[in-house]
Amino acid sequence: MADLDATYAAFAAARGLEPLPALGLGSLTPLLVESKHGQVAPAARGRLAGEVDGIVGQLAYTRNKTFRFNVALVEVHASTALVPRLFCIRSGRSTRDDEFYGFEARHSKLWTESTALNQRYTISTSPFQDPNWMRQLFSPALVDYLASKPPADFSFELAYGILLGSVEDDDPGADGLTALCEATAHVAARIARECEE
Amino acid sequence: MQINRTGIWLIGFFGLLGLAMCLGPPLLDANAETSLIVASTGAIFVLVAAGLGLYARHAKAKAARQDWVFRNGIKGSATILEVGNSHTTVNEMPLMKLQLALEIPGVGRSEVSRREVMPVFTANCMKEGLVLPAYANPEDPSEFILVW
Repeated sequence: MADLDATYAAFAAARGLEPLPALGLGSLTPLLVESKHGQVAPAARGRLAGEVDGIVGQLAYTRNKTFRFNVALVEVHASTALVPRLFCIRSGRSTRDDEFYGFEARHSKLWTESTALNQRYTISTSPFQDPNWMRQLFSPALVDYLASKPPADFSFELAYGILLGSVEDDDPGADGLTALCEATAHVAARIARECEE
Repeated sequence: MQINRTGIWLIGFFGLLGLAMCLGPPLLDANAETSLIVASTGAIFVLVAAGLGLYARHAKAKAARQDWVFRNGIKGSATILEVGNSHTTVNEMPLMKLQLALEIPGVGRSEVSRREVMPVFTANCMKEGLVLPAYANPEDPSEFILVW
């Protein structure tokens, strides 16, 4: 943990963020629900990338085994009315290994024409989501970006105006945190821009 | 709610194991008492599989109906007036009781209540004053879906 604290301290200092020992983000997205009160520790708050502010921190929880994710949280309030929930999760990612429920809340798998995107991610949304709006959001530029630019394990969850980007890593280092923040900020900016249009 | 791969696997597992337990002992010439005990347990497994299968079929039919309302319904809005937690959970998801002001163009405003099983992160966002999209059946506006 000392190394991780040092990583976050150095990252926060280098980017002018406010370092925080711990922070409760709340049970706002499926990944945050796994950890009690969505607690991240260590954490940092401020400008993540570009014009996007948010919080970055490590989320750890145990469900049979311990999972460690580094997450970046950004608010995109305007998205609630247009896309209440949208999950773009790296294919094969596991967030639990003790779940044996046979029924779950309804969702729709989103189909895209990009083979690279479909191979890399499982994208799902509300079954009552406007499909035309989703096609506009997943423009060729965003599809190309998601398929090639973010860190290997990058995933994001958008739920009721909260965007949570994440990578599963014990200690991603300053470069890994930078890549996480930049990818999350890029997605947030794209969603915000589409909501404005 | 919708069935997932685990659900399909559970139905297959309980169904096939139950059938094997019902039919196996007589085929293997086990004595009557053993056959009865094993077959009784097997019958319970088959009933569990049948129950899960019926629930999945019901959920599928309900989903198809909701999809029809979504495609053909009148788009309106539902403002949350009151949120109640029934303290009942289904697969770790709370059953929420919502009091809603439903406004459908051409139909008007009405107060309705709705019970929905929601993931925890969704349930946490259900607050008084939150406005959610809603779609009403044009033939029967009392039938509506709440988009959450």
